[in-house]
Amino acid sequence: MEENKLQCSSVVDGNFEEVPRETVIQFKPPLYRQRYQFVKNLVEQHEPKKVADLGCGDTSLLRLLKVNPCIELLVGVDINEDKLRWRGDTLAPFMGDFLKPRDLNLTITLYHGSVVERDSRLLGFDLITCIELIEHLDSGDLARFPEVVFGYLSPSMIVISTPNSEFNPLFPSVTLRDSDHKFEWTRMEFQTWALYVANRYDYSVEFTGVGEPPAGAENVGYCTQIGIFRKNGGKAMKSCVSEQHDQHVYKAVFTTSYPSLQQERFFKLVLVNEVSQQVESLRVSHLPRQKKQDGEWGDKPKDSKAPGPCFGPVFTEIEKAKIENSPKPFCVGDKFFVPLQRLLAYPKLNRLCANEEMMRSVIADSIPLSSDGSAVVADLRDYFDEQF
Amino acid sequence: MSGRARARARGIARSSFRATEVGRTQASSLPTSVDLSNNEASSSSGFMGTSRISTNRKYEISSCDAGSTFMERGVKNKWDFMDLDICTREKLAHVRDCKTGSSGIPVKLVTNLFNLDFPQDWQLYQYHVTYLPDLASRRLRIALLYSHSKLSDKAKAFDGAMLFLSQKLEEKVTELSSETQRGETVKMTITLKRELPSSSPMCIQVFNIIFRKILKKLSMYQIGRNFYNPSEPMEIPQHKLSLWPGFAISVSYFESKLLFSADVSYKVLRNETVLEFMTALCHRTGLSCFTQTCEKQLIGLIVLTRYNNRTYRIDDIDWSVRPTHTFQKRDGTEITYVDYYKQQYDITISDLNQPVLVSLLKRKRYDNSEAQLAHLIPELCFLTGLTEQATSDFQLMKAVAEKMRLSPLGRQQRLARLVDDLQRNTNARFELETWGLHFGSQVSLTGRIVPSEKILMQDHICQPVSAADWSKDVRTCKILSAQSLNTWLILCSDRTEYVANSFLNCLRRVGDSMGFNVDYPKIIKVQENPAAFVRAVQQHVDPDVQLVMCILPSNQKTYYDSIKKYLSLDCPVPSQCVLARTLNKQGMMMSIATKIAMQMTCKLGGELWAVEIPLKSLMVVGIDVCKDALSKDVMVVGCVASVNPGITRWFSRCILQRTTTDVADCLKVFMTGALNKWYKYNHDLPARIIVYRAGVGDGQLKTLIEYEVPQLLSSVAESSSNARLSVIVVRKKCMPRFFTEMNRTVQNPPLGTVVDSEATRNEWYDFYLISQVAGRGTVSPTYYNVIYDDNGLKPDHMQRLTFKLCHLYYNWPGLISVPAPCQYARKLTFLVAQSIHKEPSLELASFLFYL
Repeated sequence: MEENKLQCSSVVDGNFEEVPRETVIQFKPPLYRQRYQFVKNLVEQHEPKKVADLGCGDTSLLRLLKVNPCIELLVGVDINEDKLRWRGDTLAPFMGDFLKPRDLNLTITLYHGSVVERDSRLLGFDLITCIELIEHLDSGDLARFPEVVFGYLSPSMIVISTPNSEFNPLFPSVTLRDSDHKFEWTRMEFQTWALYVANRYDYSVEFTGVGEPPAGAENVGYCTQIGIFRKNGGKAMKSCVSEQHDQHVYKAVFTTSYPSLQQERFFKLVLVNEVSQQVESLRVSHLPRQKKQDGEWGDKPKDSKAPGPCFGPVFTEIEKAKIENSPKPFCVGDKFFVPLQRLLAYPKLNRLCANEEMMRSVIADSIPLSSDGSAVVADLRDYFDEQF
Repeated sequence: MSGRARARARGIARSSFRATEVGRTQASSLPTSVDLSNNEASSSSGFMGTSRISTNRKYEISSCDAGSTFMERGVKNKWDFMDLDICTREKLAHVRDCKTGSSGIPVKLVTNLFNLDFPQDWQLYQYHVTYLPDLASRRLRIALLYSHSKLSDKAKAFDGAMLFLSQKLEEKVTELSSETQRGETVKMTITLKRELPSSSPMCIQVFNIIFRKILKKLSMYQIGRNFYNPSEPMEIPQHKLSLWPGFAISVSYFESKLLFSADVSYKVLRNETVLEFMTALCHRTGLSCFTQTCEKQLIGLIVLTRYNNRTYRIDDIDWSVRPTHTFQKRDGTEITYVDYYKQQYDITISDLNQPVLVSLLKRKRYDNSEAQLAHLIPELCFLTGLTEQATSDFQLMKAVAEKMRLSPLGRQQRLARLVDDLQRNTNARFELETWGLHFGSQVSLTGRIVPSEKILMQDHICQPVSAADWSKDVRTCKILSAQSLNTWLILCSDRTEYVANSFLNCLRRVGDSMGFNVDYPKIIKVQENPAAFVRAVQQHVDPDVQLVMCILPSNQKTYYDSIKKYLSLDCPVPSQCVLARTLNKQGMMMSIATKIAMQMTCKLGGELWAVEIPLKSLMVVGIDVCKDALSKDVMVVGCVASVNPGITRWFSRCILQRTTTDVADCLKVFMTGALNKWYKYNHDLPARIIVYRAGVGDGQLKTLIEYEVPQLLSSVAESSSNARLSVIVVRKKCMPRFFTEMNRTVQNPPLGTVVDSEATRNEWYDFYLISQVAGRGTVSPTYYNVIYDDNGLKPDHMQRLTFKLCHLYYNWPGLISVPAPCQYARKLTFLVAQSIHKEPSLELASFLFYL
């Protein structure tokens, strides 16, 4: 039992990050992570397509959100251009994203600009997050903030987080948590402001937070207070998006698009690879029996039983039945044939490709097919087989 | 060790990890010595250099002394610059003023080099930055400096300690203060250390960093030191490979100025996860020997994890752990692998029965040097690079080579597009301009075509139509000398007996026409398995047997390896292995027989052809080094020396060494043997010795000069010879490419083209020589650097002699890319490193038994 618990391996993937040290009260996980996780959960729950993070800083939140398959447009805005530039390129697709593309397109853009300026490229979003942002705004900007974000951008959902000053007495001698903070609100102050704004722009708001207070001090509330604003009447405002004039005041600092199955080139790549992989796996599982018949592998340790794969994809009963009922692979001479219908029975390929015609047209110029085009053809034996 | 036993062993190690956390100092005794940077094991062959992945992500903070290197973004820039401070030319009096030749026909060449223009008084300012309080995190140090407004509009490069600016700050010492996210105030002190002229090595490093930044701005993807365009991949689905086109770029100081060089490069990626690989392997091997084979195949390989873009070396496989098991996160909570990947990366692990891969992380975090194990899920790991098995698969390599092949014109067009992008992209141009640089024109220069060579046969002197392949020109000519083959064996199976016989007839016929007498052999029939072949060899080979030929039923490596092993070590007799499949090729029999007959002649000590060598009493030596395929820490050193003035007979020896520096020691052993052999044949010692040294990596020049050259000199001196010595480093891979412009298109330069100006280095006596054809592709020149030269030959003569030696490789009737002794040494080391793994018997040293 002890062996299964891997105390040594405190990392799975070596993903080290800075862990800020809070002197007295320590949050686990750290508070900033809890805030990001909160947004991430919200995204998983509501599956927004277009998400913007205002005041994105070093883009940590964006990096966390980009793995979400539902997001197709991810935007970060910040007034510190250097910070955007410095960390920006870490948002570019990984090598693995090309080898295993996403289902849907994803574009990530970073803009240099202020949240109190209007830029039409941020119109029509499903979710806009302002994590620990408003407390950095001076009174003039704070006054303009609602009319830009709620009034002009008017996304379906807005998340605003800000420190709860009632929590501050639990920290040693803290007046403001950051010297750049212009204010820190009590729950009452935040909720008053939020309700006023929600009311004015026809949103409903719900309050919550992250960072549980320690035992005995429950009455101070969460360390970070969060307001979730939902637009009343859902996406009704969308119609007026197109009527807005293009207004580009932000400077695009960085933009990247991810490869996806929506792009023909990558769709083909993935389908061809999956087909080759499946054919290969069927081919090698065809081999052992073949070996025995030939009886020419004298010095090899003979397998007493056919090697059942110790792992590999696991199918449900329905999937198994579907595969069993599809046309079987067969051999003619030293050629191995796998009917396309058979391939389509595998869930992985079925997910990519709806019918035989489509599969044929996509793979035809990359993978050899039988003369009537109904099956993939491969040599029964390849170079590697001879090595074992 | 079984999986469970290993897990237990790890358990013990684990407890000592915990002990170190409590403050004991046994950290050094922990198994932390896996070098992640040594990750090139997976790709061995020369042209697969493109498949390498660099994981040099050592986030060290470099100190500020003069010899230190500058690192940014974890990419190490050190090794291309290590050789720069070595100036060999100033010690060579005869080339101090002029190292260029003059003979031959001048030819105008275009290069892949580009001028970089900058103001005359351009300088780089090097600063040292300290933090108060001191910050251990490099990332934080950089973030703080970058976000400071004082430096925000300046061109800068910073690695956490060293800062480079193209404009001087007003003060020698600048104090800045910045605030961390936690509200701590940090004081940064920026102190001017040096002002660097554009030619300084440090400056060249910074130039390289600047260009890397710029290429990133062109949406190129950086892998190692090259840049690739992943949006235009080429696929080889039948081998599960993707190729990304891209460029290798660098900025360096050539003869008189700073040049930017770019060459087309391809990244080979594998569309195969470790899980897919394991599943297929399991089908092939069966369960009984699966875990063992799997470990043998996978351990040591580098994998890429698709979710975080890191590469890891597989150090172990833990068969007792499943994705459904839990591990402890950094914050102490337990989580299953399945949940972790779902939460962290939104990845669903589909196969819950797979084991986990184990990788030892060697990373210096702050000051605690505890080793950490990373557990990786096979399903999420892509294989990288090509395994040796893959590189030995002819079909695969052919498919890759075909995809990568690019005509000179195609290459020139790609370069033009890159340059166009660099000049048009506003971001790229902006970056260049802030540094005060300007991208200039493509460099063209004048090369020379040295005269072609005549091929000397037994009673005929032949001027080949094309020096690339003179097999047709000499078809009717007799070879220089051949031993008669009287007593020999053919081993074949029942199935191959028929082809063996018809092949034998062919062999006798072609042998006859080239002057190689082949008598009938004893034909022995054996069963089709490696053990049977070896048994038959053991039974039938006696001291009288001159040669053993084996007709192999398949290319299973064990056949070849076990036969070669026995006949090179236990019972030294030349052997010839032929695949039955090769002999079945219709209509090819004659040319195959000719090629095999020539190889057999050489293995028996015959000589095929010669070229005219104007220097009397010259010994040429070829040295090559490579790693043993089985034990990677063993270096295989192959040395081959000519033992007659005609340079047609050779003395070959292969020595195994523990480390690179030991290479020097075995050179002495070899040279003594070679000189003895020369004396035995010529009753005199050679007057001149020219050593061609291949297999030299970046940054090894110093070792060569300090250890190998003195060893060679002393072995010459100790043999009481007055021979004068020259040592030439031969490199097949080099940055420059040359094209000729003809009729508005670009072509490969003619054979024998020499370049010894502009693309060479001022501090070295070096030249490029094109001695091979590239078919439909682009030829890559071979680079020669004369690091020691007592012979004092004129550069003209040195270049021509080198060209002559490229004609003498008996495995190919035509020119090859390197001098013959180098190619022999390479062939010998390959045989030993791949198949024999021990020093072959010295009885074979006078034969080219390894062809």
